[in-house]
Amino acid sequence: MNRTQHILPSGLVFAVGVWITWISYTQAPAEAFLFPRLIATVFVVLAGWTFAKAVMGKSKVGTGLSRSMMLNILPGLAVMGVYVFWAATAFGFYTATTVAFFVLLSLYDPSSHRDAWVWVKRAVITAGFIAVMYALFALLLKVYTPREILF
Amino acid sequence: MKHLLAGASIALMSLTGAAAAEEYPERPVMMVVSYGAGGATDFQARIVTMTAGNEDALGMPIAILNKPGAGGRVGWNWFATQADADGYTLAAYNVPHFIAQSIKGGVEYSTDSFEPIANWGADPAVFVVAADSPFNSMQDVVNYAKENPGKLTFSGAGLFVGHHIAALQIEKAAGVKMAYIPTKGGGAAAMKAVIAGEVLGGVNNLSDAFRAREAGNVKILGVADLERSDFLPDVPTMMEQGLDVDNASVNFRGVMVPKGTPQEVIDKLAATVPEMFKNSRVASKMEAGGSPMLVMNREEVQAMWAKRQETLQALLAGL
Amino acid sequence: MEFIYYFGDVFSPLSFMLLLGGTIGGLILGATPGLSPTMAVALLIPFTFQLEATQGLILLGAAYTSTVAGGAVSAILLKIPGAPANIATTLDGHTMAKQGHGAKALQLSFLSSAVGGIFGVLLLIFLTPVLADWALAFGPSHLFWMAILGVTVIGSLDSASVVKGLLSGCIGLWLSTIGFDDIMGAQRFIFHPSLGGGINIIAALIGLFAIPQVLTMFAKGRNSGAAEVIAVQKHSVLDALRELIRRPRALTIGTVTGSVIGLIPGVGGQIAGLVAYDQSKKFSSESEKFGKGHSEGVIAAESANNAMVGPSLVPLLTLSIPGSPTAAVLLGGLLIHGIFPGSDLFDNHPEVAWTFINSMLIGQILMCLFGLYIAGLAARVAQVPQSVMAAVVLALSVFGAYSVQSSMGDVYVMACLGIMMFFFERYGFSAAPLVLGLILGPIAEANFIQGSMIANATDGMTTYFLGGALNKLLITIVLASIAYSAWMELRQRRSQTPADKTEVRT
Repeated sequence: MNRTQHILPSGLVFAVGVWITWISYTQAPAEAFLFPRLIATVFVVLAGWTFAKAVMGKSKVGTGLSRSMMLNILPGLAVMGVYVFWAATAFGFYTATTVAFFVLLSLYDPSSHRDAWVWVKRAVITAGFIAVMYALFALLLKVYTPREILF
Repeated sequence: MKHLLAGASIALMSLTGAAAAEEYPERPVMMVVSYGAGGATDFQARIVTMTAGNEDALGMPIAILNKPGAGGRVGWNWFATQADADGYTLAAYNVPHFIAQSIKGGVEYSTDSFEPIANWGADPAVFVVAADSPFNSMQDVVNYAKENPGKLTFSGAGLFVGHHIAALQIEKAAGVKMAYIPTKGGGAAAMKAVIAGEVLGGVNNLSDAFRAREAGNVKILGVADLERSDFLPDVPTMMEQGLDVDNASVNFRGVMVPKGTPQEVIDKLAATVPEMFKNSRVASKMEAGGSPMLVMNREEVQAMWAKRQETLQALLAGL
Repeated sequence: MEFIYYFGDVFSPLSFMLLLGGTIGGLILGATPGLSPTMAVALLIPFTFQLEATQGLILLGAAYTSTVAGGAVSAILLKIPGAPANIATTLDGHTMAKQGHGAKALQLSFLSSAVGGIFGVLLLIFLTPVLADWALAFGPSHLFWMAILGVTVIGSLDSASVVKGLLSGCIGLWLSTIGFDDIMGAQRFIFHPSLGGGINIIAALIGLFAIPQVLTMFAKGRNSGAAEVIAVQKHSVLDALRELIRRPRALTIGTVTGSVIGLIPGVGGQIAGLVAYDQSKKFSSESEKFGKGHSEGVIAAESANNAMVGPSLVPLLTLSIPGSPTAAVLLGGLLIHGIFPGSDLFDNHPEVAWTFINSMLIGQILMCLFGLYIAGLAARVAQVPQSVMAAVVLALSVFGAYSVQSSMGDVYVMACLGIMMFFFERYGFSAAPLVLGLILGPIAEANFIQGSMIANATDGMTTYFLGGALNKLLITIVLASIAYSAWMELRQRRSQTPADKTEVRT
């Protein structure tokens, strides 16, 4: 199992290495790609070595991933993806952050979902955090974040 | 789905656009600066917009947004392709930089992508040498370059920016070949190279050179402009020294909006912004900072852009 | 000794309030994952419009000093460096926190920050004219070799496998070439419009360190039993002080390295911590303990990154050349009040110059006091439930990455790099060498290209890059550094039994 797991990332890095080497040596103007060529060459050699080691099953470093771990991560990762790549600009930063924060809190909070007080507590934490974020970024530091709905 | 949403939002925007122009601006306005915080453009942009919140100006503050990178290309690319044309996103322009870059290619903007509003400053390029340099006039520089073709190193802030244009013009006017060394990190890095003696000379902003001369670090040999500067009345222009260099490299800074901004908004900005620049508090801060001001209205800027486009096309044709 | 006359000004009620506010605010901003010192200072500039020049500078100076130190808090407790300068602090600091010594690590980091910081400011006060010449001595060829010296650190940095460490460094170097090339203006590897401006170092830093932490917290799931709560043992400040005195070598190496590197314009404080960490590891009698929660690692890294603050202002104050991004922002803050750094500053506005410098000196002490107080609160931070912490860090990362240059592209880059890094970390790749590559790439490249242009116009590549005493000295250090790393690696391999080799570090 560990071997297949190692082949995937090192294979990916190797593929990137080959791709950037190819680009560095074919794109013009050559002067601008002098440094990338140097990096790409070292990169592809090291990546090839790592990939070969992984294929031979000699990669030993790292803890790998387990099934239960992936199952734990996936819902959070999905919320994160929707939040960062879509909701943040579609709804505005503060609205999207409020929703994402509350959802993540509820997803990973060990307390029981049946208890009404737990939900109140989560809502209060979310509201408090958003208030601090708004005070810090919008009022104090005057950062202009995308705002579609509300603030 | 994505197209549908985008289409709907565009429709919505154009509906609200006409009505919004009357009350414009009803919220703070952003101004994109294509150079980093602390640079000359950023610094001046902050000063000239500081009175925007006054009732006789826009009545709303202008917030500066820095989008630095690749000699300004990053910020202007973003502005031309992604900024909302609703009057709430302005940008600072630097002529000849963005025009030269658009002629050279590889960017997504040209003079047709933007609508000028007003000009606030004109910072000519000057030729500087270290305080202990044997060169005392442009003639010395040209003579050295004639004797040592391609060996006179001089720094400037990158390729296809005002400094580079001045460098090309000097080389062309004197009929010599010199070694222009573009630096990364703007005019400050180019100035450091001159002071440290890494290069024999350099092209730099008048405002920065003025400061460096006050600090006793450099000598200024010539101004690449049509007239002498009020800040440096003792420094002759290139023309006075027999070099046919006009004001094509002068760094004009001003405000523009993306093409497609409602005409009412442009008119309102074109009427208020030049007045805002003329505020006495702005003028005194600009002078204290060593930054030459030149307020021009929309029509004057349009004419200046068109003229630069022509000059630069001719100058860069051979490259 | 002129500076003593102006001490009074620092203690005028308004100035002192600003100093206090700047220090506390700076510590909090610095400790917030995603806010770097440069950004904190840039965001504070508008506040100084309303103030007098001196007072405005006090605020900026205090904020600069304390944000650099504040970055250690999140580096130690959460393994999220507040700025590139704090990367080295995560290596031992976070390991210490995991072992329950979070309070001790924080105390050590603030104490050594103060020692380094005060030394740096004293250098600025007494040796400014000498140092200015030094700063100018570094031309493109020397900066190139400095960057290469940084690269030699990559292989030995926080990675169980040297090859994977180097490969991570290469990935970083490659990422740094993405975008418009600054000198030629050519487009390189822009496969998505978000990358037009290149990969912003701060956004990348947030992504590479914060997002894997968020995902690691997710990975523990809802099951509260499995979630390990980091215990923080109480630790007395006196013990920390004693520990610091027992480690003079790390403190000296950190302070000196930080001061020297801080002085060089263009390299800046970003790599001071890492180089100091690497050097003190090489000189330490207990080098095998580094990376496993050794106090010397924290001391060296933190004393270095605060020692660089004072010297990094030398080129700005004397020559009017900003040597670092933060200094560039400070220059703007000065100019807006009509003050030109350079001899003008010290001759015509000595009250501004000296009050500013003095406030940084007092600021270091205040920063240390408040920092030690914060260290006492560390236990509370560690008790925040994982679910809350994950959501907080994620939101801060998004806001932080966005506010660097108000660009959604940076947020996307941050998230993508972060998610990739989480998975790659499981297979022995690591974030620290990657970020180091990202920092060093542009320095090495720009100086190499600039240097070779000058060389081609003048005396040729060999003379330019290999000639001169400073070049030779730097090359010697680079070679020594490589040789030493190789020797250590060989010695370690020989002494290891096969069982040790497969030992897994997380």
